[in-house]
Amino acid sequence: MQVIDWQVIIEKHGPTVWQTAYRLLGDSDDAADCFQETFVCALEISQRQRIRSFSGLLTRLATTRAIDQLRRRFRQSHCNAVSADWDAVPSTSPGPAQMAQQQELAARLRESLTQLPPQEAQAFCMRYLNDMSYRQIAKALGIKTNAAGVLLHRAKAKLRQSFELSLKE
Amino acid sequence: MEENENIVEKAVKALKNEQTPPGPSQELADATIAKLTEASGQSNNVTTGKRIWFIDWLKATNSFTKVAAAAVLLIIAGYATGRLTSPQPPDMKQLQDALEPAIRSRLLDEMKQYWQLALTSSYAQLKSELSQQYRSDLNQFAAYTLAASGAATNQLLEELIESINAAQTHDRQWFTTAIEQIELNRLRDNAQLTNAFASFAVQTEQDMARLFSYTQPDSSVPNESENPNNLN
Repeated sequence: MQVIDWQVIIEKHGPTVWQTAYRLLGDSDDAADCFQETFVCALEISQRQRIRSFSGLLTRLATTRAIDQLRRRFRQSHCNAVSADWDAVPSTSPGPAQMAQQQELAARLRESLTQLPPQEAQAFCMRYLNDMSYRQIAKALGIKTNAAGVLLHRAKAKLRQSFELSLKE
Repeated sequence: MEENENIVEKAVKALKNEQTPPGPSQELADATIAKLTEASGQSNNVTTGKRIWFIDWLKATNSFTKVAAAAVLLIIAGYATGRLTSPQPPDMKQLQDALEPAIRSRLLDEMKQYWQLALTSSYAQLKSELSQQYRSDLNQFAAYTLAASGAATNQLLEELIESINAAQTHDRQWFTTAIEQIELNRLRDNAQLTNAFASFAVQTEQDMARLFSYTQPDSSVPNESENPNNLN
């Protein structure tokens, strides 16, 4: 059992966890919930086993919690049409259409991520949103580097299919 | 296909580029700490910036570390016990006084023996070196002398050869001069003789001519029968 100074851990890794959660959820309240859940989960894990890398663990937990929360959110509002937050688009900005398109793309990616298997979604987020290397992803997920590559490849392929379907619709 | 891939990339880029508010806020961090403390329940492994005491460390340390620490403590205790229970060292001053004369005399003997050996060996070595040096000097001197005498002999021989050559040349010149003089004398004598013969011939011819042209006057001419010189 480790002796952990959680205040130091939060000070050191809190911004990364927050950024990961907020980027995936796009909402401050949801991100705050995700933030707390991540650290509580990390506490539970630390009571069971020794944690060697808090950075990898917290990133993985934050990604997992955020995707779970996204999944719940999309499940609840499945019947409602997913649309971008048009009010947030400033009309005075140089390219409001572009910004709207980008917001829509981000929202679609969030939705598509909820449809991926958890490990693939985690690997994708860690690679492309947190810029982690294959080795770091493999270490965080407890798999081999080659397996991490396979997960990423599958995730990308599925996302591509998902986008293709949405374009056809 | 490529377009879809681009769309995925665009979506990732859009998601990454979305503005993220700075966080977490202090309230959220405090709330999280509170929640962690609450969640930890009876377990005492949650510390919030407080000092970690040895007892906490002991509780949290795994068994291997505990065994290692116990082994280290045991080794230190054994070492300390050994040091304390070991016999005291003897009185060094007394030991030194007892041993010093014997060591001194033995050291003197050894030194004497050593110096004798060293002198003997150095005398023999010196002798050998001197004789060797003398021999080499002699050889060098002999070589120099031989070289110098050879050079002097060669010089004398060269001078002799030169004097002989000069004498021969002088004799040859004198002989040539004598022959030339003899030849000149011969040519002069020959010319004189030729002239003498020529004048004699001319004289003889004149005398002969005068003789043939001589006629005896009448009066004075004797009787031919009486004259013995009459050829007719």
